[in-house]
Amino acid sequence: MSATTTAGPVGHRDDTTPDDARVTFGHALRSEWLKLWSLRSQWWGVALTVLLMAGLAVLMASALGAAAESPGMQQTMDADPRLAVPSGVVAVTFGYGFAQLTVAVLAVLTITGEYSSGTIRATFAAVPRRLQVLSAKLLVVAATTAMLAVVGLGAAWLATASMLSADGLALDPGDGEQLRALGGTVAYLVAVAALSFGIGALWRSTAAAIATAVGVLLVLPLLLQVLAGSAAWAQDVYAYLPTVAGERVIATGPTPDGLLAPGAGFALLAGYAVAVLAAAAVTARRRDA
Amino acid sequence: MIEAQGLSKVYGSTTAVDGVTFTVRPGVVTGFLGPNGAGKSTTMRMIMGLDRPSGGSVTVNGRPYVRHRSPLTEVGALLEARAVHPGRTARAHLRALAATHGLADRRVDEVVELTGLGSVARKRVGGFSLGMGQRLGIAVALLGDPRTLVLDEPVNGLDPEGVLWVRHLARRLAAEGRTVFLSSHLMTEMALTADHVIVIGRGRILADAPVRDVVEAVSRRAVTVRTPGPSVLRSALEHAGATITVPDLVHDGTLEVTGLDAAAVGEIALTAGVALHELTPVASTLEDAYLELTADAVEYRTDDLAAAGSISPTTTTGDQP
Repeated sequence: MSATTTAGPVGHRDDTTPDDARVTFGHALRSEWLKLWSLRSQWWGVALTVLLMAGLAVLMASALGAAAESPGMQQTMDADPRLAVPSGVVAVTFGYGFAQLTVAVLAVLTITGEYSSGTIRATFAAVPRRLQVLSAKLLVVAATTAMLAVVGLGAAWLATASMLSADGLALDPGDGEQLRALGGTVAYLVAVAALSFGIGALWRSTAAAIATAVGVLLVLPLLLQVLAGSAAWAQDVYAYLPTVAGERVIATGPTPDGLLAPGAGFALLAGYAVAVLAAAAVTARRRDA
Repeated sequence: MIEAQGLSKVYGSTTAVDGVTFTVRPGVVTGFLGPNGAGKSTTMRMIMGLDRPSGGSVTVNGRPYVRHRSPLTEVGALLEARAVHPGRTARAHLRALAATHGLADRRVDEVVELTGLGSVARKRVGGFSLGMGQRLGIAVALLGDPRTLVLDEPVNGLDPEGVLWVRHLARRLAAEGRTVFLSSHLMTEMALTADHVIVIGRGRILADAPVRDVVEAVSRRAVTVRTPGPSVLRSALEHAGATITVPDLVHDGTLEVTGLDAAAVGEIALTAGVALHELTPVASTLEDAYLELTADAVEYRTDDLAAAGSISPTTTTGDQP
């Protein structure tokens, strides 16, 4: 603090002059990337997700193996075309159901964590165009989720490869449907992350946003499934829920009655995400930080 | 340079900032003084483009904050102590903010050094004391080597050494020609740090003048006088138009007089034939001035205040939480 008697004591703009120091979208992206990975919770969340995607794949693979060997199961599977498919892809992608939860929570936290701690003010002071901040965050969340999904699927494949080929269920990436299910898992998780990020940006409170995301992703399908037993409308609505529709892109085999085709289902999930993000963008510009 | 024009902020039925107009000039430390809830922080957030004004406008270095292409080099702000994710290290926080402007990591190390955070920079902010959090906030403000600084309660939570450091820093930044705008509810701190002061109460500007003028204008120029004949002196002084603010409480002949200066009191005593054992002008402080300004809508509407010219007396109405 005392070695400042000459020149500009507080500033040394020798290598970064005020002329080239400025906000660009690339700079905002880099800032968001640094922020995301400077939190331990992010590393824990990603590690946990990858581990569980691999672990659940192993569980499913052994269940498929057992089923393939049991004569009773064989009959059931022959009777229901949905169960007759089982290729290894069902096991390898099985962990998405859990992964979507951690992905949703991590996506929510990237934005609500800033509001709860007050960091958002520093962020908006540095990058006053709020849509620039939100899109940089969204891009970072989407890229991270895609990477996580690819690594998780890779781990799941590695962990199950020997079991699956022993049962004659080895993954066949040359098969168009299997490839779509694998790519669909990545796309599905990215869409869930985007939707959850949008919910977080709208609510700004961690508790409210996580409750909403979990409600939409998990509770609503369960609720409607129960109601569908007694009310026909519930069955109709069920097919259009974000996760029910989106999951179609991961499913293999013929489309069951009342559910959307894989492409249409995913498009609907993406549409929900876009709608929520648009609402978040509008409110972010208007509200006080 | 910060220029506010009729700036207002209304939350529901509460008016937090009520049409304030002021200019903060470069080269001097301008204090922003007011009790809690007076509208200081809200005004500062509007300067930084964080809160949207309900009316009026405010510009920094000639344009609204959000229009600057390189805001961190224009304005550095400390708005809240410890407004940092508790799980992030101080250095990670600074690096992420520096990255928004493409500033080199070397600049991060410089502000860490400058704010004395060297030993804790790689520790997570959750474990920081209030003082450390405050230093980190100041490091953030200095990151872009800005032309203008907006510091909300910068000495809050600092130890005496830290307070002194902020005082020197603010004065040095102003001496370098920068605009320094710092808020406080601590009048004594302001008297030591600021050259100019803007006093705000209930969302309105109560005074906008050099510190010394505010003190002089609002002060009750009091004189303490001790005499063996207090009752004689008292009636002579009152006859001359003075007010006895503190009568002879302990019966040692001491009175406190306002409305006349020491010379006038001495001459009246001579005319009245009363001896004086003590005659002391009581200098009022910025604190007195501040208390008087913010005490009540009626009280700060004094003739003294209006006569000061550069100070605009205002009445306030409405409630503030």
